[in-house]
Amino acid sequence: MLSNTPSPVRYAMNEDRSGIIIGYFGFPRRSILSEARRRFGAGAALFDLDVEDGAPDAGLLPPATCRIIANIVDNAAALGGRLAAVVAAVGEDKCDRGRHAAYLLRGMGLEVIESRFPAGEFEDRPPVFSTGRGPLAGRVRRIMATVVDPSPPGDAPAPCEPTHGFWGVPPNDMRLLDLFPPTTHIYGWLRCVEAGRPADLDLECAVDAGVPTVFFHQSFCAKQDLAHYLAEKHGGIAVDCHREVNDSILAKVEAFITLS
Amino acid sequence: MLIADCGSSWTKILETGSGRLEIMQTREFVRRRDLRFEIATGHSARGRCRLYRNELIALAEGSLALVAEPDFSVVDVGGRDVKFVRFAGRRVKKLDWNLACGSSTGATIELLGAYYEVDFARLGPSERWIAVTCGVFGMEKVLEHVSTGTPPEEAVAMFLHGMVRNVYDFCGRPEHLHLSGGFCENNCFLQTLRGYCSVTALGRTVPLEGLKVERDA
Repeated sequence: MLSNTPSPVRYAMNEDRSGIIIGYFGFPRRSILSEARRRFGAGAALFDLDVEDGAPDAGLLPPATCRIIANIVDNAAALGGRLAAVVAAVGEDKCDRGRHAAYLLRGMGLEVIESRFPAGEFEDRPPVFSTGRGPLAGRVRRIMATVVDPSPPGDAPAPCEPTHGFWGVPPNDMRLLDLFPPTTHIYGWLRCVEAGRPADLDLECAVDAGVPTVFFHQSFCAKQDLAHYLAEKHGGIAVDCHREVNDSILAKVEAFITLS
Repeated sequence: MLIADCGSSWTKILETGSGRLEIMQTREFVRRRDLRFEIATGHSARGRCRLYRNELIALAEGSLALVAEPDFSVVDVGGRDVKFVRFAGRRVKKLDWNLACGSSTGATIELLGAYYEVDFARLGPSERWIAVTCGVFGMEKVLEHVSTGTPPEEAVAMFLHGMVRNVYDFCGRPEHLHLSGGFCENNCFLQTLRGYCSVTALGRTVPLEGLKVERDA
C-alpha cells in the first residue's frame, strides 16, 4: 500500500538553501539561465519550481489545475523573498499555463525572466539516458538535471533494446516510474529535454513502433490530447494522474506491463 | 477453497469445491472481518487474501477461459471503474482501464436508481440520451430533466443511454462486445447497448474465472 505523501525529489539544485535562490521552470534557454547565474552569483541555488517540494497550497489556482503548474506557484509563494528571480519557460516549449503562471508570479512581486526556446537553438544531444538501461526514475532525474548541467555524463548507462516505453513528462509523483523494467525507453517531452529540443513536436511524438508504451500526462494538462492520440495510434495506454498515484493507477500500469 | 472478486460495490465469493457463489454488497463484506480468501482480486480485496491478483489480468484470463473466439473484445463495467481488453489471435491487442470516472460506472446509476426508486427489472430503454461527460454533471442533467417534466424513469434511462455511449466509445466502437459485470443483469443497459453493437453477456463472475485459471496454473 502507498503512503499519502510522495518522496520529495530534486532534479537540479545546488544545495545552499539559506541564501539566494534562482527559481526556474520548464526548460529555459541555456543562455538566459547562464545570464541569471552570472547576475546573481555562482553561489545562488537553482530551484526547479516544477517539482513537488511539500509547499503549502498558495490558494491562487483552482483545484482542477495541472499539478506541475500548481507546484510552480506554490513553491514560488513558499520561497517568497528568497527568490532572486524566476526564469520562466513561457513559449511552446512549456504551455499556456506556464505563461499564465509567470504572469501570476510577476503579480506576486517576483522578478520573472521569460524564456522562449527558439528552434534555432535546438541541439542534437544523444539520448543517453532515454535509451540506456537502468531504473527509470533515476534516468528521468538525470535528464531533468541536464537543463542546468548539459555536460556529457561520465557514468552513462549502457544502451539497451526497449521492452517497454514511457512517454511524457516527469510525473508529479515519481513512484509511478518504479513499476517499469530497467529496459524501458523514454519518449515524449523528456526525450526532447535530453536532446535539447524542448519544443520539437515531431520528436515529442516519436516512439519506436512495436514497443508497448505508457503515454503519461498530468491530469488537466493539454498534453492529454497527444497522449490519447498516440496511445490509440500505437496500441499503447494513456495514463493520467493528478496529485499522488493511487493503487488503481499503479494496477493499470502493472496490468499493461504484464499483459503487453 | 474460497476465491473472491471484491469490487467497490459488490463482492463475489466462490467456493471452488462446491461451486457455491455468494454475492454480497461490499459495504457488508468490509464489516465481515472473518472473511479471508486464498486468491482474490478487486479494490476491496487487499489484505484479505493470501494471493492478490491484478483485476485487469483476472478479467483477461477469465474472458479467455469463457470465450472461444480468437478475436474478441470484453468490457467489465464495474461499480467504480471500467476495464476493457481486445484480443487478436487470443493475444492482448489493446487494453484500457477507466479508473475513477463516474461517467461510465455502476455506482452512479445505482445512486440514481435508489434516489428515484427505479426498478431496473422493469425499466425500458430510451431512444434519447444525456451527455454524461461526468457522472456528477450527468446527474445534474437528470435532476434538470425531472424538474422540467420528464418522468424519473425516462430520465434515468436517458442517463443510462449516455453511459452506454461512453462505454461503447471507450471500447473503440466494436461490432461485437462481450460484457462482464453487474450490468449483464440490467435489461435496460443491455437493450440500449444492443442498439450500438451485438452483445454477449458473460455474467458477473468473469474475474473469478480468471482467478481459477491462475490457480490451476
